Amino acid sequence: MLALYLAQIINSGLALGAVYGIMALGFSLIFSASRLINFAQGELLLLGGLSIMTLAGVMQLSPLVALFAAGAAGYLLGRALFATTLGLTLRASPLRQLMLTVAASLVFQGVAILAWGKNPLMPPRLLPIPDLRLGPLFLGRDTATALLLAVVSMVVLGLFLTRTRLGRALRATSQNAVAARLQGVDTVFCHALSFALAGALASLAALAVGPQTGLRYDMGLGLGLKGFAAATIGGYTSLGKVFAGGILLGLIEAALVLTLSGEFKETATYTLIIILLVIAPREHDERP
Amino acid sequence: MAVPRNVSLALFFAALTGVGLFTPGFALLAVNQHLFLAVNVLALNFCLGLGGQISLAQAAFAGLGAYGSVLLHALFPGASLLIAPCVVLGTGLLAAALSRPMERLGEGFLAMATLCVSLVFTNLVLTLESVTGGSAGLMVERPLALPGIGALGGDKLTFFLFLGLLALGSYVFLTLRDSRLGRALAACRDDGQAASSLGIDRAAVRSLSFGLGGGLSAAAGVVHGHYTGFISPEQFHLELSLKALLFLVIGGPGNLLRPLVAALVLETAMGWLSVLGDARTLVNGLLLGAALLAGYWRIKK
Repeated sequence: MLALYLAQIINSGLALGAVYGIMALGFSLIFSASRLINFAQGELLLLGGLSIMTLAGVMQLSPLVALFAAGAAGYLLGRALFATTLGLTLRASPLRQLMLTVAASLVFQGVAILAWGKNPLMPPRLLPIPDLRLGPLFLGRDTATALLLAVVSMVVLGLFLTRTRLGRALRATSQNAVAARLQGVDTVFCHALSFALAGALASLAALAVGPQTGLRYDMGLGLGLKGFAAATIGGYTSLGKVFAGGILLGLIEAALVLTLSGEFKETATYTLIIILLVIAPREHDERP
Repeated sequence: MAVPRNVSLALFFAALTGVGLFTPGFALLAVNQHLFLAVNVLALNFCLGLGGQISLAQAAFAGLGAYGSVLLHALFPGASLLIAPCVVLGTGLLAAALSRPMERLGEGFLAMATLCVSLVFTNLVLTLESVTGGSAGLMVERPLALPGIGALGGDKLTFFLFLGLLALGSYVFLTLRDSRLGRALAACRDDGQAASSLGIDRAAVRSLSFGLGGGLSAAAGVVHGHYTGFISPEQFHLELSLKALLFLVIGGPGNLLRPLVAALVLETAMGWLSVLGDARTLVNGLLLGAALLAGYWRIKK
């Protein structure tokens, strides 16, 4: 009985955790590049997922095309978000930039309501991944999809950041924007790129989370918040740690679901986030 | 053409008093909602404008005030004179205590932590269904009452209660801003390290401004809870905190009147927008974004 419980926790925890992990990666990208917390992260996922769903409705999408389309849609959404928020207010106070992403999240939500309505929508499963059974461990196909997507996008992102010129430029910008600019890096483009990559990651996450829970216009804040918490647990700097933070948060939440009631679970999760934020180690005091 | 501060303050309150005196009672229903928001904007101004600390927990404090007062009134009817100050003081102390460990957090992290405080409050109200009525809400049986005067209720009286809170809050805000303590807070806001090296106990000073903000929000919550006759978690949802923060940022934290005017004007405009139906969220977002950008371009010039 206990084993069954554990298997259940691991299955749903990994599914949640992988999605949180991808969201956390996007959060960390934007945060490291521009020291901005992006409140519209969840809405990127929402609009990306909804666009792909509509695309899948009008044409047959093979899995590869679906992945590519999701990435492209997210990339564009991220660029649009940058162009309307940070791109316009590069010199504004961080607070104003933060509030602009809040306004942007409202706009994105409004678009979702107008174009797709207020009812939850169930996108089709576009990636044909079967249930997995690894010894005593059972991973449902949603879990397998989420995990696979997350790991692959993390590896690709890691390769991009460490092996390409552009990736190095992005990392240089996040380490010291002034020095990067002196070396000829176009830091504004790098800020935009971080938003676009975060958008692409969020859209890919939508492929995993859509068929599990459905897409609803007001789902963004909760998901974005969990992604942020995961990024905080992971410490923002290392891809692997940030992703592990997501998995950990997902597992904790899944364990809480089975032991506590729904609302109490939320209370416990958010209390945990507060405690984590307060006790999280800080290397230097200048985090915004 | 800078108008002296006292004159603009007097004009603002005179205009509001005029609105209260000459508007028929039922039409004040919407105005009172806006005033409730304006008091919360002012409360947030204590944390953000004076101490430089962002807070998205304002809704939770207002909710604590409302639920605390309504539940206590059900137990001890008629003891408003005792209950209301106790609830306000209790919430203020809680806010101050909460802010102490969070003082070290930077802007974005503090935003997230206080946002979680709001969410924890909402979920706690939902969980403790036997006490709070959960998502179904709670009927308010007892009005606020003063011995000798009787029940405090009705649209007009509530309007002036809110206005009184606004005036009291503004007075405390201005006094605090121009005091030694206010300058210590400004130092914390502008350069934390410099403030510390001048011997300012940052956590203590800032928890005071946070506590004052929490207390003012709670007072607004007390009035609002008894006014509507029905309280539910939705009234004190995160949206209230976000709105308060948006209007404060639009008006400029640290300014007294500008955010209040922004809140009242924009909120009224957004109230008219309800005819738009489903397009409302989108237009709200565009409106707020435009206000934020307009403020930024104004400062840049």
